Amino acid sequence: MASVPATTPRPRAAGPTQGGRAVEHRARRRPAAGSVGAYLLLAVVTVLLLFPVYWMLTISLKIPREINRVPSLWPQTVTLDNYRELLGERGFLTNLRNSTIVAGSVTLVSLFISSLAAYSLVRFRYRFRGLVGRLILFGYLMPTSLLFIPLSIIVARLNLGNSLQGLIVVYLTFSMPLSTWLLTGYFRGVPAELEEQAMVDGATRMGALLRIVLPLSLPGLVAVGIFTFTAAWNELLLALIFITSEDLRTVPLALQYLITGDVYRWGPIMAGAVLSSLPVVILYFAAQRVMVQGATAGSVKG
Amino acid sequence: MVRSPANSGDSVATTRPALTRRRLLGTAAGSTAALGLAAAPRSALAEMLAARRAPAVVQGGTKLTYWGGLIFSDAANSLLEETITAWGDANGVEAEVVMINQNETTQKVSAAVESNTLPDALDMGLDLQLLLSQQGQLAPLDDVYDRVGAAQGGWFPGVDAAMAPERFGGTRTGVPFGTGGNLLFRRTDVLGEAGFTEPPATWQELSDQAREAQAPPIFGMGFALSNVGDGNVQVSVLQSYGGRIADDAGTTPTIKSEATRAYLEWVSAAYRDGLFPPGATTWDGAGDNQAYLAGQAVFIANTGSVHLSAREEDPELDASTAYSPLPGGPTGLVSPLGPNVRAIPTSSRNADAAKALIEHLANPEFMAEYYAVAIYGPVLQAQRAFPIYSGESEVHTGLANLVETGTAPAAPDVFNAAYAEFNANFLVPKMVQRVVIDNYTLDQAMDETQAAAEAIYAKYR
Repeated sequence: MASVPATTPRPRAAGPTQGGRAVEHRARRRPAAGSVGAYLLLAVVTVLLLFPVYWMLTISLKIPREINRVPSLWPQTVTLDNYRELLGERGFLTNLRNSTIVAGSVTLVSLFISSLAAYSLVRFRYRFRGLVGRLILFGYLMPTSLLFIPLSIIVARLNLGNSLQGLIVVYLTFSMPLSTWLLTGYFRGVPAELEEQAMVDGATRMGALLRIVLPLSLPGLVAVGIFTFTAAWNELLLALIFITSEDLRTVPLALQYLITGDVYRWGPIMAGAVLSSLPVVILYFAAQRVMVQGATAGSVKG
Repeated sequence: MVRSPANSGDSVATTRPALTRRRLLGTAAGSTAALGLAAAPRSALAEMLAARRAPAVVQGGTKLTYWGGLIFSDAANSLLEETITAWGDANGVEAEVVMINQNETTQKVSAAVESNTLPDALDMGLDLQLLLSQQGQLAPLDDVYDRVGAAQGGWFPGVDAAMAPERFGGTRTGVPFGTGGNLLFRRTDVLGEAGFTEPPATWQELSDQAREAQAPPIFGMGFALSNVGDGNVQVSVLQSYGGRIADDAGTTPTIKSEATRAYLEWVSAAYRDGLFPPGATTWDGAGDNQAYLAGQAVFIANTGSVHLSAREEDPELDASTAYSPLPGGPTGLVSPLGPNVRAIPTSSRNADAAKALIEHLANPEFMAEYYAVAIYGPVLQAQRAFPIYSGESEVHTGLANLVETGTAPAAPDVFNAAYAEFNANFLVPKMVQRVVIDNYTLDQAMDETQAAAEAIYAKYR
C-alpha cells in the first residue's frame, strides 16, 4: 500500500552515489506497493463482476429444494438434472441453433450493408449526406417498445410472421443503423490518400474499399460484428412478439418460457443462462485482442 | 418461410411431416385399442375423444390455429395439445396448437390484433376478454355456451354471472373452461407450534396469528404489496373491510371512505410490526411464491401453483401446508373468482371449425383428465363430481369450493373497463406503499388514489 514509501527512512546526507541508490530503491519499492493496492482493487472488482456468473453456475447445479430453501454458496448436492431437462426434455439445442442462425445472419448482413453505407457517408459528397447520417442514428435511438406494433404490421404484410427470416429482417432494422454509425467512425480514421494511391495504381473504388479500407478497419469490423451478434443473441421483446412456434424460439425466448405464470424454474433457467452465455464468451475471448484495438482505434489519430 | 409443423409438443419437430404424424396417430389408435385403455390412459383418452366427430359444418382440409394458455403443469399443457391435434386428425382439420405463455398473452394479442394475425381460437382471462370484446374483436359464442351448459347441468352461478352478456356488448364472447382464484396457504407446522390449528376467519385474526407465530426469517404475511397482479389481492381485502373502488353504478370512484381508512390502519399496523417479508412492496409476480417455497412465509394467497411446485420439489413443505378460503373482513368475505375462457376472434377464417373444437374441448372425459393435472376450479355443475374435486386433492377441492362460495369478479364493485384499468394500474397496492414507505398520512394516500381513480373512471363515462 501507499504506507511503504512514507515509512521508509529518508537519507539526510548522502553522496551522489548513496542518494542515487536510495532513489533507485524507492523507485523499486513504490511500484511494488502500488501494485499490491492495484491488485487488491482488481481482485475486489473481479469478485464483484464474477459473483453473478458464479451464482448462476452454482444454481444450475443445485436441486430445486436447495435452490429455494438453502441459499448456500456452493451446492450441497451437485446435480446435472437441470441441464438434462433443458437439453433433453425441452430441446434447448434447437433454441441455440435458432439463435445462432438469427444472430449470425444479422451480423453478416449488417456488416455487409453497413460497410457500404458507412463508406458512402465518409467518402462521397452528395446532398443531405449529413441529414442521412443523423437519420440513421435517429433510427437506432427509437425505443423498441414503440416500434413493435408497426413492425408487426409490416412483418405480417410481408408474410414473414413466425419465421426466423422475419426475425432477422426485424433485427436488421435495429442493428444496421448502429453498425453504420460505428463503422463511419472507423472508416474516417483510414487516410483517403491510401485509397487514392491504390486507384492511381489501377484499383477500382470497390477494389480500394475491399483491399485498403476494410483490412485497415478490421478491428472496427470485428468490434461491430461482436456488438451486433451479442445484441441479436440476447434480444427478447421482438422475439416474443414475432415468434409463436415452439421450434422457432430463440434462446432468450426459450428461457422466458421457463417462467410459467408466477412460477420460476430457477434450475433450468440458470442452466440455460450458462449454456447461452458460452458462445458469446467464446466469441469475446477469441476476438478480445482485436476488440480492444477496435475500441481504441483512432483515439490518438489527428 | 419456416413454419412449425402442426404441433407435437416436440421442440425438434421440423423434420416430421404432418402425414407421418397422422400415420403415427392411426397406429397409436390401433395399438391403444389392442392394449386397452388402462395400459395407456392419456393416448387412449386422446383417441377416444378424437373419435367424436365434429359437426358436419367443419370441412375437411381446414387449417386451424389455436393459442393455448401455457400453465405451470407440463402434463396439462401436453394433454391440451394432444387432444386438439387428435381432434384435428379425426376431423380432417390441420390443427396447429401453439402454447402461449400467459404472462405474454396481452403483448402477443396486441401485436396480432394490429397485424390481423390473431389465431382461430385462443385461451384468455376475463380482463383481456372484456377489452377485446369492447373492441369488437371476439365473435359471439352464445350457441356454444348454451349447448355446453345445458349438457352438463348448467354453469356455476358465479361463472355465469361473470359471463353476463351486457358486459361484453350484449353477447357471450367466451366459453369458460376453468376458474382461478386465491386460496389461503398456511404453514401448519409453524402455526401449530404457536398453538393455532384452525385457519383464520378474518384478516385481523390472520395478522394476530402471524404476529404470534412468526420468527424472522419466517415472516407471517407473505402477501405482495407491490405493483403486480398478486398485489391486487389487497383490493379484495379492502373490499372485505367495506371499502369500494366505485359506486353501485360503477361510474364514480368512492375510494376515500372510513372503510378504506380502517383497511389502511390494519395493513399499516401489520407492516409496522414487521409481519410482511422484506421487499414485499417491490416483489415481482413470483415474490410470494418464492417466499413460501423458501420457507419464509407463514401465510400466502395463491391460486395453486405453489402447491404444484412444492409437491414436485419440496414434499416436506407440501405436507406441512393447509389450504382454506381467504379470510373475511368486518363486512364479509370477498374472494373473487376469475373464469378463463376459450374465445374466437372475429378475424378467424375458420370460425365454424373453431366453435366445434371449443365445444369438443368442453366434454367431460377430457376435462376430468385435464383438471386432474391442471390447477383450475370447475365451471360446470357436472364437473363438481369429478374425483379431483371430491377429496382427491385438497387444493382442487378448495378451488371447487371457491367456485361455489367465491364472489363474482370485482364484487361488490362493478366489473367494467374502468375497474379493469384501475387494477391494471395497481392503485390499491400503490396507496398502501404511500402509507408504509413514503409515510403519507392516510388522508393523503386516499386523496391521491381517489384522484387517480377519478381520472380513470372519467375516461369511460
